[in-house]
Amino acid sequence: MPDPIYLDHAATTPVRPEVLEAMLPYYGPRFGNPSSVHRWGREARTALDEARERVARCLGATADEICFTSGGTEADNIAILGAWRARHGQGRNAIVTTPIEHKAVIASVHQAAREGAEERLCDMTATGVVDADSYDRLIRPDAAIASVMWVNNEIGIIQPISTLAERAKADGVLFHTDAVQAFGKIVIDAKAIPFDILTVSGHKIGAPKGIGAAFIRRGTVIEPLFHGGAQDRGRRPGTENVAAVIGFACAAEIAVAEREEEWVRLERMRDRLERAILARIPDAVIHGRGGPRAPHILNVSVSGTDSESMLMALDLRGIGCSAGSACQSGSITPSHVLSAIGVPDDVAASAIRMSIGGLTTDACIERVAEVFPALVEKARGVAPAARPARAS
Amino acid sequence: MIVKERVLVAMSGGVDSSVAAAMLVEQGYDVVGATMKLFCHDGDLPDRPCCSLDSVNDARRVCQTLGVPHYVLNLESAFGRDVVDDFVSEYSNGRTPIPCVRCNTFTKFRDLLVKADGIDARWIATGHYARATNGELFRGLDHGKDQSYFLWGIQRSVLSRMLLPVGSQTKAETRAVAHRLGLEVIAEKQESQDICFVPDGDHTKIIRQRLGSDAPALSPGPFVLSDGTAIGSHDGFARFTIGQRRGLPGGFREPMFVVAIRPSDRAVVIGPREELLGRGVVAREVNWLVDAPSIGAHVELQVRHRAKPARAEVVRLDGAEVELALDEPVSAIAPGQSLVVYDGERVLGGGIIERAAGQRAPLPVRAA
Repeated sequence: MPDPIYLDHAATTPVRPEVLEAMLPYYGPRFGNPSSVHRWGREARTALDEARERVARCLGATADEICFTSGGTEADNIAILGAWRARHGQGRNAIVTTPIEHKAVIASVHQAAREGAEERLCDMTATGVVDADSYDRLIRPDAAIASVMWVNNEIGIIQPISTLAERAKADGVLFHTDAVQAFGKIVIDAKAIPFDILTVSGHKIGAPKGIGAAFIRRGTVIEPLFHGGAQDRGRRPGTENVAAVIGFACAAEIAVAEREEEWVRLERMRDRLERAILARIPDAVIHGRGGPRAPHILNVSVSGTDSESMLMALDLRGIGCSAGSACQSGSITPSHVLSAIGVPDDVAASAIRMSIGGLTTDACIERVAEVFPALVEKARGVAPAARPARAS
Repeated sequence: MIVKERVLVAMSGGVDSSVAAAMLVEQGYDVVGATMKLFCHDGDLPDRPCCSLDSVNDARRVCQTLGVPHYVLNLESAFGRDVVDDFVSEYSNGRTPIPCVRCNTFTKFRDLLVKADGIDARWIATGHYARATNGELFRGLDHGKDQSYFLWGIQRSVLSRMLLPVGSQTKAETRAVAHRLGLEVIAEKQESQDICFVPDGDHTKIIRQRLGSDAPALSPGPFVLSDGTAIGSHDGFARFTIGQRRGLPGGFREPMFVVAIRPSDRAVVIGPREELLGRGVVAREVNWLVDAPSIGAHVELQVRHRAKPARAEVVRLDGAEVELALDEPVSAIAPGQSLVVYDGERVLGGGIIERAAGQRAPLPVRAA
């Protein structure tokens, strides 16, 4: 079998070598606890403070606005539950969000609802963008927080975060955005866009799993989820994951530096793959096509196939993709995102998400452009003779 | 280079299907493991988080040990339609279904086969104690474990794609293979006698979930004798099956059994052992795994798993319906259970029992 092809960068990415190298001393000689007063502690504290400043710079923020977390899920929880719990007693009981959010946001909103919050879900357009009128109606001075993800993890659709954040601000509603898939793809500048809380994650950009951050704008009051020491201004108690924080800062700087060039490279490859698929399978549905899309996600449905069988068949040919969302058992359930933007169930049931990134080359795209349509034709019962010959 | 033939192995996380997968790896097949997600308890059972997670985990660990890929396949909606809906509807009609038969027919050897096609798998394998050879199906070599009774419903053409590696050995041998191959995770796992979607043994729970607790099958009704005499009341005929003794009114000189269930007036008819005897059996949804036998053919049949085979003659063949006359009466022929027709070791076919035929006692009349 040729070398396997990883097309699941939206799920996770490998740690970049320079990131790993930057982290290693903090697993070795620089092992100190940043809260300690002695030289070991000072050394770790210096590295942590510097890393916080470096991450802040990547987001147009100041260091005190960066709260390191265990990852995107925790940052989303801090944003939704932390903000709602702090504000619902002040006549702000509602949470405004969309039906296409990541599970971390959806589940946090559900948890707030169990604690008494009012959930308000705004309508989506067929391309997957927030319906402006619906959003406008739901944002009222009785809402604690609005949460809209910047780039959707399944279809890559980009939301007009600037407009949405401004609108929320007008009614004194805090605005949170899960920017996990946007980080490294889109310019994130806290000085230019008035979001109050923003989620980023390390392992999507070449840092290790288990590290992420919440940007929490100065003056934003949240109720901490954890209780313990005074780390991170009490917002996130617990001894800091120093090595991972260093790795995150390093990966964030690289991602921001390479952003523009990488966007162009990914967009070219994504478009090429998309064209190749549509040429061979003219009735393939590319979700979010025609809308504003990040360049690293291609989500395609082909009627007459099913996601599960395609994922297996692709995997057994060495191509790793994903579909829908996995439940506890690892089985696939149809995507809530596709349902929410009005994709019929039978179309959603054949969706395959290909997400490209650092490991993707033109040669990968070429091979996937060959194998994917061939598998589709086989699943649809097209005679093998009808297919062009393939080098083995 | 010889291309290894690919086989999709249905893995429940139990010892039989795990060993089946391991044996096929040893035999040089390109094994792909799959665990079917068939239902979700939705937090109904606090100790089993969701979707029989423990079984999935065990199957995955076995595949990791064997170095083969493992997938979880979501067949929940098809299983709900083909197996669970039928289960509920059969009980509501006063019958006693065997969901495993329909799962084999529709889920494992039809829907899962489609998945096998999708990955170019020539073969499909399970951990059943039965043997598929030369396009024919035979009892498992270990008669104490034989599961051929549950396999009569599959398409005849599927037999030539089935691999049933443990069917040619005893359970003890299967466990020994598990130890030899280092599958300690599952080697001594106890087998469950439960229906997979009825994990606590209370099948009325799922009927209640689907139809509500006021469903006729779960509502009070009379116990009657076959002459119509009412002798008490029960709390739902779905709790009873033909031949059952437990839960019946006492005070009779001889042991009494459920001899009929009559949904029309929710009656459970009870009677002595002799009223259980049937001299023939009528089955529907008949499926043959060989060319259909002719009328007058002498065969063996089973109306229950683990029952001793009984000799019978085919007296009527009518599309998807068959009637057989028994040489000697057979006890407790229960509608909804399977009739399986054998020729010695070989499975000829089967069907769903519609009714016993030629009973000594006439069908009970409706109680006044």
